[in-house]
Amino acid sequence: MFLAFALITLLGAFGMLLQKNIIVAGLFMVAAFFGVAGLFVLLANPVAAALQLIVYSGAIMVLVLFVIMMLSSHEEEAAEVGHPIQRWLSVLLALALAGGGVTLVLASKGVRQLAERGAAMPPAVTLQGVGAALFEGHVLGFEVAGLMLLAAMVGAVALTKRNL
Amino acid sequence: MNKYYWLIPILPLLGAIFNGILGKRAGKGAVTVVGLGTVLGSLVLAISAFFAMKALPDHRLALDYGEWMATGSLSVPFGFVIDTLSGTMMLVIAGIGFLIHVYSVGYMHDDEGYGRFFSYMNLFVFFMLTLVLGSSLPLMFVGWEGVGLCSYLLIGYYYETDFAPDAGLKAFLTNRVGDLGVAIGMMVLFAAFGTLTVGDILTKAGHMAPEAGFGILTFATLMLFVGATGKSAQLPLYLWLPDAMAGPTPVSALIHAATMVTSGIYMICRLAPVYTLAPISMDVVAWVGAATALFAATIGLVQRDIKKVLAYSTVSQLGYMFLGLGASGFAAGFFHVFTHAWFKALLFLGAGSVIHAMHHEQDLFKMGGLKSKMPLTFWTMLAATLAIIGFPGTSGFASKDEILYLAYLKSPALWAIGVIAACCTAFYMLRLFTLAFLGEPRDHHAHDHAHESPATMTMPLVVLAVGSLLAVWLGWPKAFGGDFRIEEWLASAVTYGQLHGAHGEHGSAQLALILASVSTVLGLGFAWFGYATYRNGLAVAEARAAKFPLIHKVLLNKYYVDEGVELVLLGPIRWFGNLLWKLFDVIIIDGVGVNLPGALARVSGDFTALFQTGRVRNYALSMALGAAVLLYVFLK
Amino acid sequence: MTGMDAILHGGLQGYLVVALLLFAIGLAAVLLRRTLLMQFMGVELMLNAANVALLAFARFRGGDLQATVFYLFIIAVAACEAAVGLALIIGLYRHRDTTDSDRTASLKQ
Repeated sequence: MFLAFALITLLGAFGMLLQKNIIVAGLFMVAAFFGVAGLFVLLANPVAAALQLIVYSGAIMVLVLFVIMMLSSHEEEAAEVGHPIQRWLSVLLALALAGGGVTLVLASKGVRQLAERGAAMPPAVTLQGVGAALFEGHVLGFEVAGLMLLAAMVGAVALTKRNL
Repeated sequence: MNKYYWLIPILPLLGAIFNGILGKRAGKGAVTVVGLGTVLGSLVLAISAFFAMKALPDHRLALDYGEWMATGSLSVPFGFVIDTLSGTMMLVIAGIGFLIHVYSVGYMHDDEGYGRFFSYMNLFVFFMLTLVLGSSLPLMFVGWEGVGLCSYLLIGYYYETDFAPDAGLKAFLTNRVGDLGVAIGMMVLFAAFGTLTVGDILTKAGHMAPEAGFGILTFATLMLFVGATGKSAQLPLYLWLPDAMAGPTPVSALIHAATMVTSGIYMICRLAPVYTLAPISMDVVAWVGAATALFAATIGLVQRDIKKVLAYSTVSQLGYMFLGLGASGFAAGFFHVFTHAWFKALLFLGAGSVIHAMHHEQDLFKMGGLKSKMPLTFWTMLAATLAIIGFPGTSGFASKDEILYLAYLKSPALWAIGVIAACCTAFYMLRLFTLAFLGEPRDHHAHDHAHESPATMTMPLVVLAVGSLLAVWLGWPKAFGGDFRIEEWLASAVTYGQLHGAHGEHGSAQLALILASVSTVLGLGFAWFGYATYRNGLAVAEARAAKFPLIHKVLLNKYYVDEGVELVLLGPIRWFGNLLWKLFDVIIIDGVGVNLPGALARVSGDFTALFQTGRVRNYALSMALGAAVLLYVFLK
Repeated sequence: MTGMDAILHGGLQGYLVVALLLFAIGLAAVLLRRTLLMQFMGVELMLNAANVALLAFARFRGGDLQATVFYLFIIAVAACEAAVGLALIIGLYRHRDTTDSDRTASLKQ
């Protein structure tokens, strides 16, 4: 199961990276988000999986697709100047990060110990538990998050509306 | 009344400030009222102060306004001293200054910079009075520099012309050389006496043994004399004065004839006891004066510009004054300052009147026959001419003969030079007078339009003419049975602080009479010669010039001194300046100092600009690279 | 479980490797694509990678609820970012008629 979801995630992401057409790339992205949601389920966290589906695949990706529809061109525009250095450096950096990170993870004793100690599956996270944790210790953070969303909303409206 | 005397110099300063700041807006009426009113107020106060001083037993009115600067053992008071010397000078400045201000109202009437002109003039009166009244050498020096500044400003008054600003600059730079001398002289005097207050210096000098401070005093007095040669246009620093005629004519009259140029003589009179202690300096003063008198007089023989003639005449007369001082005749020298102030101011103003009438024509050869057109100018100029050539009974006669007599007592050679110079003076003055006023008009167009000047211009002429003739009353020479009372009058100032008192050598009255007669007769002879030469126009003179072409040419070109200075002094300076410019400015400062850092900044900027693509991706990449490096460093 | 086993069978290392790869792909998308929308999606991917790692750690620490709470906050921030970011893209498109980040280099001057 894990392998299947991991592959969905990574292939989706990779497909998005390579896809020229933005709409198709966006759909690949949705696939990747689904994969991530599956991973969350495997992590005994159905709440996060549900949120992932609702917020990312639902809200954010729909928003992105809406924007894509609003823009006329769906193909990437022709490059003004070539950036071979940028291209190769970027690939190199991404590979180095991935490779370095993987080696680090595999070599790390702490990670291995943690993995062994917590191998037993914990009880699944419930919405009730999350709600309790949220309102017991992070009420202020919750309020600020709401305020921030409001501010983002006002900002987005202000930026896109032609004449206020 | 004493408490108002500080206003004597300050009033013109206020006038200068008002005219300088508001002159343009206030209009000519206000400028005239303020400009003349402040000088008149100053004159009234000066007269009052003069009589207050006269009433005192020792003829010395000291006004102290507290300490000016004090460091270490140096303590300079801020104060004025009115004694017979400075008091007389003060009256001359305020009096003639006022007359010339009145004259300027007419002369400058149509000028754009009316307010500016009166501002400068008032400022000049302020500085000149400060120079004369200052109780200490530094205060005098302030005035000394100030009049130099005003002179510069007024010479360059017509700043749109090519010539005037250069002339102003020349005057200023030449005076700088002299001013350096004054500054050095002042410091040496401080070293010698430990004080800079004039009264204290004189008192200490008076109590010195005659041989005591010989070397240091000789040095100090010579340095001060360098300053005097600058300010009073003596050899070799006279060059600026003829060029100074680029300024408006009232300026020439006030600054470059009557007052400022005599400040060198005034300073020597002020420090007379110190000079008496330095006989070598006295010799130098006498000989430089005599040489200048002759030198300038010969140049004056052939000049065509009416103001140039008068300028060289002024240089020559100033030479006389120094000759008198050098011959220990402080009173005689100063008396000549006094009389010269009247008649030379008059000559300049008369010349100004002529120039004004001729629509700014200054060439003598184009004048002629103005007698009938400008009677008042004619008669007043006649009075001035008679005075300057020493016609018996005029003021010039009295002062010049006293100087020549004292010069003879010092050295007959000095006397001979003086007499020759006097003959030249007589010749060129009559030449000027004849060419301008007598004979046939040589330029009919200008002649037809000539007219007598307005009353504001002629009234000062009349007053000055009366003064030129009557000033003799102050010092009728002893040779002719007078008492030369100015000597007695000035004695209290010239011998201030002296134990020994005045000790003039006095030859026999008979000798004096003979000498005076000889010089007078010779002078009148040459005057007649000048009249006769130019009576019928230029033909006779031209024939004579053709006979001595070399001399004529040399004189006409003023002995080629300007060219010589150019060649010997300015050439190398310019060469050296060019060298510095090319080597230091262009290569070192411009190249290494300025352009190199600029080029470095540009190159490094261009280089780093390669990374400033403005593209978000490039920035994100470099940021990510940096983060990766940090990660590697911390997690390694 | 050894390394490769863990990766293949859903051990902690497996999740972390997925997170790292996801992050690298997201970064590559930001750096290699010029279309602002694609770069934006790359950023979302990187954010998700962080989420995966966060929740994986939480699971192996005995199901810590705090992590889920923080995940909540993160998606709130992501939503804000999405709203403002997309608004900026639309604004830019209206002004410049382009969504190519390389063509919006006028700050260079």
